[in-house]
Amino acid sequence: MQRTTTVSDPRVRSRRSLPGLFILFGLVLAGCASDAELDTLKPQSETARQIDDLLDPVLAIAGVVLVLVCGAVAWLGWKNRVSSYEGDDEFPEQMAHNNTLEILMTGVPAIIMVVVAVMTLTTHLDINSYDDANAMPVVVEGASTDWEPKIVVVGNQWWWEFRYYFGEDVTADSLGSDMKNLPPADIVTSGQMVIPTGQEVELLVTSRDVIHSFWIPALNGKRDARPGFFAPWKIEADNPGVYFGQCTEFCGLSHARMRMQTIAMTPDDFQAWIDHQVQPATDPTGDAALRGKDAFVANCSGCHLIEGVNGSEDIRAAVESGAAPNLTHFASRTTFAGGILFTYNEDGTFNRDDVARWLREPEVVKDNAANDLPDGTLPRGMPNLGLSERTISDLVAYLETLGPRPTDEIIADSEVE
Amino acid sequence: MTIIDEPLALESGETYAEKPLGILTRPQAQGGWKDWVSTVDHKKIGIMYGVAAMFFFVVGGFEALLIRTQLAFPDQGFLSADLYNQIFTMHGVTMVFLFIMPLAAAFANYLIPLQIGARDVAFPRLNALSFWVWLSGAIFLNTSWIVGGGGANCGWFCYSPNSGIVFSPTHGVDFYAIGLLITGIASLVSAVNLIVTCLNMRAPGMDLMRMPVLTWMLLVTQFLLAFALPVITVALLLLLFDRTFDSQFFDPDAGADPLLWQHLFWIFGHPEVYIIILPSFGIISEVIPTFSRKPIFGYTAMVFSGIAIGFMGWGVWAHHMFVSGIGPISVAAFSLATMFIAVPTGVKILNWLTTMWGGKLHFTTAMLFATGTVAMFTIGGLSGVTHSLAPADTQQTDTYYIVAHFHYVIFGGGVLGLFAGAYFWWPKVFGHFLNERRGKINFWAMLIGFNLTFGPMHVLGLQGMSRRIDTYSAGYGFDFWNLMSTIGSYLIAVSVLVFFYNVWKSKKEAVDLPPPGPDPWDARSLEWSVPSPTPEHNFDEVPRVESFDHWWFQKYEIDDDGKVVRIAETEAVAQDGSATGVHLPSPSFWPLVLAIGLPLIGYGIIFNLWLCVVGGLLTGGAIYAWVFEPVDDPDAGHDHDDHHDDEDGDDELTAVGAGSAGDEDGEG
Repeated sequence: MQRTTTVSDPRVRSRRSLPGLFILFGLVLAGCASDAELDTLKPQSETARQIDDLLDPVLAIAGVVLVLVCGAVAWLGWKNRVSSYEGDDEFPEQMAHNNTLEILMTGVPAIIMVVVAVMTLTTHLDINSYDDANAMPVVVEGASTDWEPKIVVVGNQWWWEFRYYFGEDVTADSLGSDMKNLPPADIVTSGQMVIPTGQEVELLVTSRDVIHSFWIPALNGKRDARPGFFAPWKIEADNPGVYFGQCTEFCGLSHARMRMQTIAMTPDDFQAWIDHQVQPATDPTGDAALRGKDAFVANCSGCHLIEGVNGSEDIRAAVESGAAPNLTHFASRTTFAGGILFTYNEDGTFNRDDVARWLREPEVVKDNAANDLPDGTLPRGMPNLGLSERTISDLVAYLETLGPRPTDEIIADSEVE
Repeated sequence: MTIIDEPLALESGETYAEKPLGILTRPQAQGGWKDWVSTVDHKKIGIMYGVAAMFFFVVGGFEALLIRTQLAFPDQGFLSADLYNQIFTMHGVTMVFLFIMPLAAAFANYLIPLQIGARDVAFPRLNALSFWVWLSGAIFLNTSWIVGGGGANCGWFCYSPNSGIVFSPTHGVDFYAIGLLITGIASLVSAVNLIVTCLNMRAPGMDLMRMPVLTWMLLVTQFLLAFALPVITVALLLLLFDRTFDSQFFDPDAGADPLLWQHLFWIFGHPEVYIIILPSFGIISEVIPTFSRKPIFGYTAMVFSGIAIGFMGWGVWAHHMFVSGIGPISVAAFSLATMFIAVPTGVKILNWLTTMWGGKLHFTTAMLFATGTVAMFTIGGLSGVTHSLAPADTQQTDTYYIVAHFHYVIFGGGVLGLFAGAYFWWPKVFGHFLNERRGKINFWAMLIGFNLTFGPMHVLGLQGMSRRIDTYSAGYGFDFWNLMSTIGSYLIAVSVLVFFYNVWKSKKEAVDLPPPGPDPWDARSLEWSVPSPTPEHNFDEVPRVESFDHWWFQKYEIDDDGKVVRIAETEAVAQDGSATGVHLPSPSFWPLVLAIGLPLIGYGIIFNLWLCVVGGLLTGGAIYAWVFEPVDDPDAGHDHDDHHDDEDGDDELTAVGAGSAGDEDGEG
C-alpha cells in the first residue's frame, strides 16, 4: 500500500519545487529506491504527515543556509585566492570587527530559530495530544462494547508482543509495574500489530528486558520501550495496508533482526480479525498435525501458549524476558521469528521450509543467547531443542493449522520484494 | 640575551629524599627513551599525545573499515552479529576517548604555554601523569580484546539495562567502565592543570581578552572536562558496582529506572561533543586569519560565543532522549534549548566567513582543511537543527541520519580541523614542513572520501535504516548507498595513508630543504616568535604582551590610513633560542609508575582482587615517592650554579620568568 506512492503524488511534486540542495538530494535519491519500506518521507497517517510538514520547510531553510555557507566558502576561496604571499607587501583591509554586521549575524540566526521554534512547538504539542473521544464499537465474543483503541506494546529480546484489552480501559496503573506478569488480555499476538484504519490508536509501550524502540516510520516516529514504564504513544493509518518497522534502540545481539509490522484494516475487517483472534485454537485434522499437537505439548508448551491446548493464561517462559510468542493463531500472521521470516511463500503456500529451519536451528537463523549458557542464566531467544526431523515436520504440519490464513493481499504486502 | 634561571618552583626546603623508596632518583637523561618516559616537558608530552592518538586513530579506523565492509552489501556474514556489536562499540569509544580527545590534548599541551608566553604548564609532573594515565587506560581498554572475552558490546553510550551483567555477560563492559574511569582521571588532571596554566601563567600583559582564540577554546574545553567527567565517573562507578558487586542502581526488576543512566551519560555526553569540537574551532580560528592576512573577525564575539556554547552545552543533554519517554514538557524545553545553541554556533561560522571576506586567501593544506572544516561542520550543524525539531527527531533518531549528523560534526568539524592544525604547526613542532603537494592530495582524498562515506547516510537514515544493525536485508532500498558509503570509507583510509606517507617522506626530504624559520606562515600568535622546532625552554625572554595578536604587531603596524606597514623583519624580532641555563622543571619517573598501577587495579577488580593490592601498592608507592622527590632536582644539568639570590633584583625579567613559568611551590 504505502509502496504505491509515485512521482504523480502532488505532495512529492510540491516538495520538488522547494528550494534547497538538501531536499533535492534527499528526495531524488530516496526516489531512486521506490521500494524503501521504512522511508520516513512518505507519511501515511495524520501524525506522520504533521512531522513531515514540520521537517520539509526546515530542510528547505537548512538547504538555503547550506548553499549560502558552502557557496560562500567556495566563492570567497576562489575570488580571494592568491598563490603565495612571496614578495606581496599589500595587505587587505584589516577589518577586525563591525558592530552592525555582528549584531546582524547574531540576530538573523536567532530570528530564524525563533520561527523554527514556534513551528516545532506547535507540531510537538499536536502530536503529543491524544484524542479522548475516539471510542469505537467492537463486538467481542458476542458482546458489543465501546473500545477506546489502546494496545499494549511489549518489547522482548528480540520480538514484539501486542496485547489487546477490550473489556476495561487499560492504564499504566491498571497494568501494574511487573512487565513479566501483565494482566491477561483478550488478544495476545506478536510481530504484527493490527489496527483499524482512520482511528487514532493509543499505544502503551514497554519492555520486559532491555530498552527497545517501537517504530513504524510511515505512521509515526518512534518511542522507546523501557522496562518498568509504559510510554504513551499513538498510531493511526489512513488506508489499509502493511506498514514496516524495525527496532531502533540497540537491544543486544539480534537488534538487527527485531522487526515488526502494523497491519491496518478497515473497521469491518478489523472486527472480523477480532472475531477469530479471541477464539481458542481449533483442533487439527490429519495425522501429522495431530502428532504435531502432541509434540507441541511435549516440547514447546513450557514457554509458548496455544489457547485451548495448554491453557488460556500467559505462560511464564523460562527465558530472560519471561515471555515467548503466543502461538494460538500462528498461521494468521505472515511473519515469525521476530519478523525476519515469512509464514507464507510468494505463491501463497505455507512456508514449511523456513518454519522447519527455525525449529531445527534457531540460533543459525537468528543470533541469540539461548544455548550453552553459563550456570544461573536464562536463555535469551529461542533455544535449539534438538528436535528430531520427524517431530519438526509434525510441528510444522500442526502450526499450519493455527489460522485462519490471512488474505492474499496481506501476504503479498507483508513481504519484502 | 637575558638569561633567566629562576627555578620553576621555590626551594622546598629539606623535606625531600634524594631517592624516595630507595630507587629512581630524578632522571637527567637527555634524549633516548629515558628522556621520553620521564619527561615533564609540555612539548614532548604533547608530541606523545599526538603519536598515541594517531595510533588509536588507526585502530578505530580499522574498526570502521570492518563495519563498512560488513555493510557494503545486504545480508552479509563477514562479521558475526556479536563481533559486529563489539566492533561498532569499540570504534565509537576509541575514536571519542582514544583519538579525538587526546589529539586535542596534544594541541592543548603543546600550544597553550606557547600561546600565553609561558615556559611550561603549571604542574609539569601532573601533566606527565595525565598522559601516562590516559595511555594506560587506553591500552587497558583495548586489552579486553585479548583477555576480556572481546570488546564492550553495548554501544558507546552503553544504555542500561543492556549493559548489565545479565545482558552483557562477557567482561567487555567491565573493561569499558574501568578503562573510561582511568582515562577520565587523566582528562580531569589535565583539565585542572591547563585551567591553572591559562589563569595563572600568562606572560605579563597577556590579558584574558588578548589570549588567542585557540587558547580560549581550549580553556573552555578544560572547564567542560572538569565538570563533565565527574558525572560520567559516577555513572561508570554505579555500572561497575552493578556488574561486580550486585548492586541494583540500574536493575528495573528491583525498581530502578534505566533512565538514570541515560541522564547521567548525556549530562556528560553532550558537553563531550563540545569538548571534541571546540579545540578544532580554536585551531581554524588561528589558521583562517593567518592565511587570509587579516585578523580574526569579531574576536570578542568568537570568545563569548565559545563560552556561550560551553554554558548552553549543559542544558541540552536530553535531546538525546526525545523518544525515551521523558514527557512532552521536558522534550519541548530541551528542544528549544537545542535550537538556540545554533545561534552562537552560527556566529562562529559567519565570523570565519567574514574573516575570509576581502582577505588574501592562501590555500595551503592547513587552510584547505580549515575551510573544509567550516563547510563540513555547517552541514553537521544544519542536520543538528533538524534533530532539534523534537517531532522530526522521533523519525530520525537512532537511524543512519544521526550517524551522518554526528560524523559531519565530529569528523567534518573536529577531525578536519585537527588535521588543519597538524599541517599548520608541523614546522613549529618538528622543524620542517609537511609536503604541500602530498598534503593537498591528503585533503582532497579525505574530503571526497568523507562526503562519500557520510553523505549517503543522510539518505539511508531518511529511508529508515536503523543504526547499529549488523546487517540489513535487500529490498529496503539500502543497498546502493551503503556500497557508496563503504567505497568512501576506503577512500578516507587512503587519505590517512597519504598523511602517514607524507609524515615519513617529508622528514626524509627535510634535510635537503631550507628550515622553516621561526615564522614560516607570517602568523600572529606568540609561538611563532620562537625558533622551529621550539627550544626546550620555549622563550629566551618572556614576552611582554601589548595587544591581541602581539607577535603580528611586532612585525607590522597599521598606519593612520588603515594600511599595513612592515616595521621589522621577522628574523629581527623573533627570538633565536640561544638562551642557556634556563631552569626547567626536572623530569620524573613517578608519573609513569603511578599510571602503571591503575590498570593493575582494573584487572584486579575484574579477575582477582589480589591484583588490586599489587596495583594499589604501585600507585600508592609512586604517590609517596612523588611527594618526597625533590621538587627541583639540585643536581639538574644546567651549566651554572643556582644561586638565585645573586640575581634577585638585578633583572626585572627574573620576576617575569618566575611569574610566568611556575610560581609558588605548587609544581605537580
